[in-house]
Formats: sequence, structure tokens, C-alpha cells
Amino acid sequence: MHKRNLVVVLILALLLGAFVPVTSAQGDIKLTVLTHWGEERLLTAQQAMFDAYTAAHPGVTIELQTVPFEELLTRIVTSRTAGTSPDIYHIYNLWLPEFTNSGLLAPLPEDMEPFVAEGAAGTSVVGVTYNDQMWGVPTEVNTYLLIYNKTLLAEAGFDAPPATWDEVLEMAPLITKKDDTGAVTQVGFGVITGWDSGVVHPFMALLYSNGGQYFSDDFSTVAFDSPQGLETLQFYQTLVETGGIDQSVAWSELANGNVGMLIMANWYRATLMLSENIDYETEIGVAEIPVGPSGTESATLAYNWLWSVDAGSPNQEAAWDLIEWMNTAAGEGEPSPMGNYLVTEMGGIPSMLADQAAFSEELGDHFLAPYVASTAYARQEPVIGGSQEIKTLLQTEIEALFTGMNDAQGVLDFVVPQANAILEEFRAQSGG
Amino acid sequence: MSATRTRRRSTAGWRPASWPASGLARRRMIWAYVFIAIPVIWLMIFSLGPILFSGWVSLHRWDMLSPVAEMPWEGLENYRFLLTEDGVFPKALGNTFLFAIGGVTTNVVLGMAFALLLNTRIRGRTLWRVIYFLPVITAPLALGVIFAFLFNRNYGLVNSLLILLGLPRQGFLNDPNQAMLVLIAIAVYQYVGYYVVIYLAGLQDIPQDYYDAARVDGGSPWQVFRHITLPLLRPVTLFVVVTNTIGALQVFDLVFATTAGAPANSTMTVVLYMYNTAFKFSRMGRASAMAFILFGIILAITIVQLRLFRDRTVA
Repeated sequence: MHKRNLVVVLILALLLGAFVPVTSAQGDIKLTVLTHWGEERLLTAQQAMFDAYTAAHPGVTIELQTVPFEELLTRIVTSRTAGTSPDIYHIYNLWLPEFTNSGLLAPLPEDMEPFVAEGAAGTSVVGVTYNDQMWGVPTEVNTYLLIYNKTLLAEAGFDAPPATWDEVLEMAPLITKKDDTGAVTQVGFGVITGWDSGVVHPFMALLYSNGGQYFSDDFSTVAFDSPQGLETLQFYQTLVETGGIDQSVAWSELANGNVGMLIMANWYRATLMLSENIDYETEIGVAEIPVGPSGTESATLAYNWLWSVDAGSPNQEAAWDLIEWMNTAAGEGEPSPMGNYLVTEMGGIPSMLADQAAFSEELGDHFLAPYVASTAYARQEPVIGGSQEIKTLLQTEIEALFTGMNDAQGVLDFVVPQANAILEEFRAQSGG
Repeated sequence: MSATRTRRRSTAGWRPASWPASGLARRRMIWAYVFIAIPVIWLMIFSLGPILFSGWVSLHRWDMLSPVAEMPWEGLENYRFLLTEDGVFPKALGNTFLFAIGGVTTNVVLGMAFALLLNTRIRGRTLWRVIYFLPVITAPLALGVIFAFLFNRNYGLVNSLLILLGLPRQGFLNDPNQAMLVLIAIAVYQYVGYYVVIYLAGLQDIPQDYYDAARVDGGSPWQVFRHITLPLLRPVTLFVVVTNTIGALQVFDLVFATTAGAPANSTMTVVLYMYNTAFKFSRMGRASAMAFILFGIILAITIVQLRLFRDRTVA
């Protein structure tokens, strides 16, 4: 062959090679799993779980892909467009409306419905259901409660956590401390910023504990433009004005003993346990969400994560089999591999009742017990189209309140019309 | 015989005027077109194609999850919403302009000033040039993370220095009134070295004769700068202003790494908001509309800048 032609053939061969997918041996199944658990410790634990499955299921290989939580949604969307979707997703249930309306997810197979309906806690079953259809197997369930530092409260003269907003307003400014240069070194009431759920979930927990609602009953409008909603924002505003809230000290400083109180989810337990700057056993306490002036009892919200399967996956049967295996108890009184992972590695609360029973001792821990108890009364975060966008909108304005750029009424004036427009748009899209 | 001659003439008439007569030259030309075609096709597929597709998407509602064929037609609704109803877009636009104006102005002033300094016979001139240029080759994301530490309100080095000097501690990236200024400072730190190099090249292009003549005429250093250096650097300044403005209006990575638009959207820029709209809210149509609005703004500003500089040259 002429040298020049040979070069052309080689170039074409290289180009062709780049576009031809690598195929596995006939009969083998390769499952790709996408999660947001990317820490080395968690990666090792996930891999061990998958290795156990593949050892018991010759012919199946599993590729684990992980991205940080803040990139998970982007990865799911872009991989769908690029045609590189994984077979199995671990997703946040708030995304169900967009994911199911677009046909991204396969519904839970009928023969697995009893596995979830009878095997998972009621709040988690609600959490994985959208439009009367279950879309996967629930994994961790999270609620928000008040975490407090007993030492800092005691130093400020308090021997018990606050039960009402008035008590928070009294305690928080007394816990806040400044050094000689005027820098705030310790803050009474920590607030999360820069992360939508971290801002809005505590707001929702406080709103519910003040007798308010986030959405109207028919989900046609937001309902926090109520006297209870305004009071909730004014509660924050007062804390900012009195120094009870000061963003100079990051919320994560709770793990270093520099935050008195923080409304946070139970999954933060692992960080607190690993901290060398606080004594998890003796210094950290958990209490119910303080009750607001218009509320009658403490309330909070719950949200779920779930394993789901891509509707376009050619390996759906194998994918659901893996999910079922992960969430099935290894034996009588024993936890499932997933339950084991959630409790021992993450300090989370598993959704499956068998796991909750198997780990009754761990879940009875002074930190987790109140969270487990709260799953009985927590309200599931409403799963409706547009929720994510409304959450981000509200997050930004609550952050503006924290920095003194906006006041309580200003937050409502800015957010409510836009939020209602988003809800109306999604309602129109779904034809109802 | 005559007919054959005529046919040959007529066949030759169909060729392009530049079409070579010899076989070897013709083959060379074909290969030349093949090699030109590769990048052109590449450009069409990976640049022009996505731009046109993005324009098409901006007229639709698309969540990136549904099939493209099923995206509903919206007409100019995305544009109307952004320009009349969106609560964040005007703020993002304002922030982006502030970033561009602050960054470009500072880069022009500092870039020129440092170039003038480095154009003198100071010791270690090459070393200084390298030092100025080093941040240019540093990844913006890495710089963003480092500066976020440096400007941390409680533990940052900058605040520690302020306290040492007896000055009050500042919020910097946590303070809505200061965060954008800090971002501008970081951007200037990163790119000023590049503009120093550009200005240096411009300064070295100015003939020494002009300076000699000015000195003979008794011109002061300020007069020399004002009437010789500055006017002769105008083409360089035009380049700096135009390229820096375009880059600044598209800022994303630095903001993404340092503040992600916080606090309270005080550092939200158009491209970051575009990213959030597309990938967080799954509104690819609206994000595409944003891209085209930004394109229009950049185009308009660039034309104005070119006309301003041209008019001044004419005057």
C-alpha cells in the first residue's frame, strides 16, 4: 500500500475506534451505579458491598461512579443527554417529579411493591411515591432536629436546650462570644448557608413548629406567606439583630465546639463522632425543634433518598435484583448490606424496618434516638414540580436576611410571587 | 480536429481560474482542501452546530431529560421572562457589569503601570516579568479556593494582617458589600500579568526616536507619557479592553469556586446563573436564552468600544 494511503487508513481506523463502544463478553452484565458518596471511607464500604454481590452473582460486574452531592443532579442530566446514563441512581426524592415526568426513571416493578410497601417505614414509602407510583427502594431517611452543645449552653447558664423560640432568643445571644479584636469566635445559633436544603429545611422545620405550612393543601401556591411564615422569618431577623446569629462562624464549627445550637439532619452524626475537638458522647445533645409563638407542638420534616433504575437501561432486571439484594436482611435479625452501610458508615437512619430492628441499639444512641422518634411525626418534604427552584429562590433570600440585606417581609415580597408563578407553570405543564 | 480543439477549450473553461493544470499540483490542492476541511467540519460540528442548536433550544422549554423532538415551542417567552419578570437575572447582569468594569479598568491601569516599570532598566527585570505572569498560568479554580482561605473572615491571612495593623476585621467574601470587590481583586491578580506582557510588547514597539525628540524639546516625563506613550499604546489598550471585557462578562469558574453567587446573590453572575438555570433547575431553554442575551450584550459593547477607539483615532 502506498505510504500516504496507509496513513489515511490508519487515521480512519483510529477515528472509527474512538466511536465504537467497547462491548463486554457475551452474557456478561455490567451495571453502573451512580451515588454521591465519594469519600474514601464510604467508597471502600460501597465497593465491599458490591464485591459481595458480584461474588455471589458470577457474570455481573458493577462499576461504581460517584460525584459530590452538589454535582449529582448535573451529572444525571448531562449523562442522560450524552447517552451515558448509569443503570442505577441513588437520588434525592425531591427530584422525582422532573425525573419521572421526563421518563428518566423506571417505575418500581409490581412484584417488588410489597417489598417496599411492607418492608419500609411509612414515611419512607410516602417519600418514594409520586403520582401514586413507587419509583424505587428507600434508603436513608433524614429529619431535622436541634443539635446543641451542652458545654456552651452550660457556660451561658443553661442546663437544658430551648423548647420555645423565646428561649432560643434568650439563650443564643448569651452564647455568642467575641475576642479582643471583635471577631466572633463562638455563635449561639448556627445557620447553614450556601446550600439550599441546609437553609430551607431548618426554615421548614421552624415553620411547621410554628403551626405554618410550606405549600397550600392542593400544592397550587406556597403557604409560607402567612402570619406563621412571617413570624418564622422575623425569628431569624431578631436573632441576627441580637447577635444570636452571626455568619462569621460557619455552621460546621459545631464540630469544633464553636456553635451553641444548630438545626440539622441526622446524617451529620458521623462528622460529630469523628471530631477530635468535641466529646460526642458527653457534649452533644439533640432536642426537638423549639415551638414558635403560633405553634402548639414541635414538628419537623423528613426527606428520603432512594435507589432507582434508569428507564433506558438494558439491564433493568439485574439492576432491580441488585437493589433488592442490597436492601434485604442477610438473615433473621440481621441487617441488609445497605442498612449496615447506612448505620455503621454514615450514622444514618435506614428506611427498611428490618434494618431499624437489627440496629435498634445503635439507633437508640443518645443522638439518633430523637431522630428515629421524629420519623413518626415528621412531615415528608413535599415532592412536587418546581420545588427545587423554589427552594433555591427562598435560600438566597433567607441568606440575605442572615446578612442583614433584607428583612422578613422583604423575603416574602420577593419570593412568594415568583414561587407561585413557578408552581403555576409546572401545574400547567402537567395539565392540572 | 477543429471540433476536438473546441471541446478541449470548453472543458478547460469549466475549471476554476486557480485550478492547476498539472496533475501533481492538482493532487496537492485536493489534499490542501482536505486538510482545511477537517478543522472546518470540526468547527461546524462542535462550535457552530451547538450555537445554532442553543438558539433553537432558547425558543423552547426543555429539561434536558425529555427527548429533543418533544420539547414544547415557547417562542420568545424565555427572552420575555428574563428581561421583564426574572428576579435574579437583572441582579446577575448588574453584578457582571460591575465585575467587568472594575476588572477591566484596574487591569488597564495596573497593566500599563507595571509594564512601564518593567520597561525601565530595573534589576531582575526578567524575574519580575515571570513573577507577574505566574498567576496567569494558575487554574482559576485553584486560585479561587486559595483566596477563599486567605479572605476567610475568622482565620484568613488577610484579616490577620489587618488586625496586626490595628485595622478592623472585614467580612470579605461573607459580606455582600465586599464580596464582589474581592472577586475583582482576585481576577486582577490573576490576569494583570498577561496584560503587562501585552503592554510591554506595545511599549517596545514605540520607536525610541519619538522619546529622544521629546527630550530634546524639553518634554517632562508626564508630557512624554501623555502625548507619546499613551496615544501610541491605543491599539494595545483597545485589544486589552476588548478581550478583557469579553472575558470578564463571561466570568464563571472563579465565582463558582469562591462564593457560588453568595452571599444572597451579591456575586451571582450571568454565566453562573445560566449554569444554575440549566443544570439545577433543568431549564435549558431559558439558560440558552440567557446565553444569547449575553452574546448580544457582548457584541454591542465590543462594537461600541471599537467605534469609540476608532473615532478617537480619527479625531
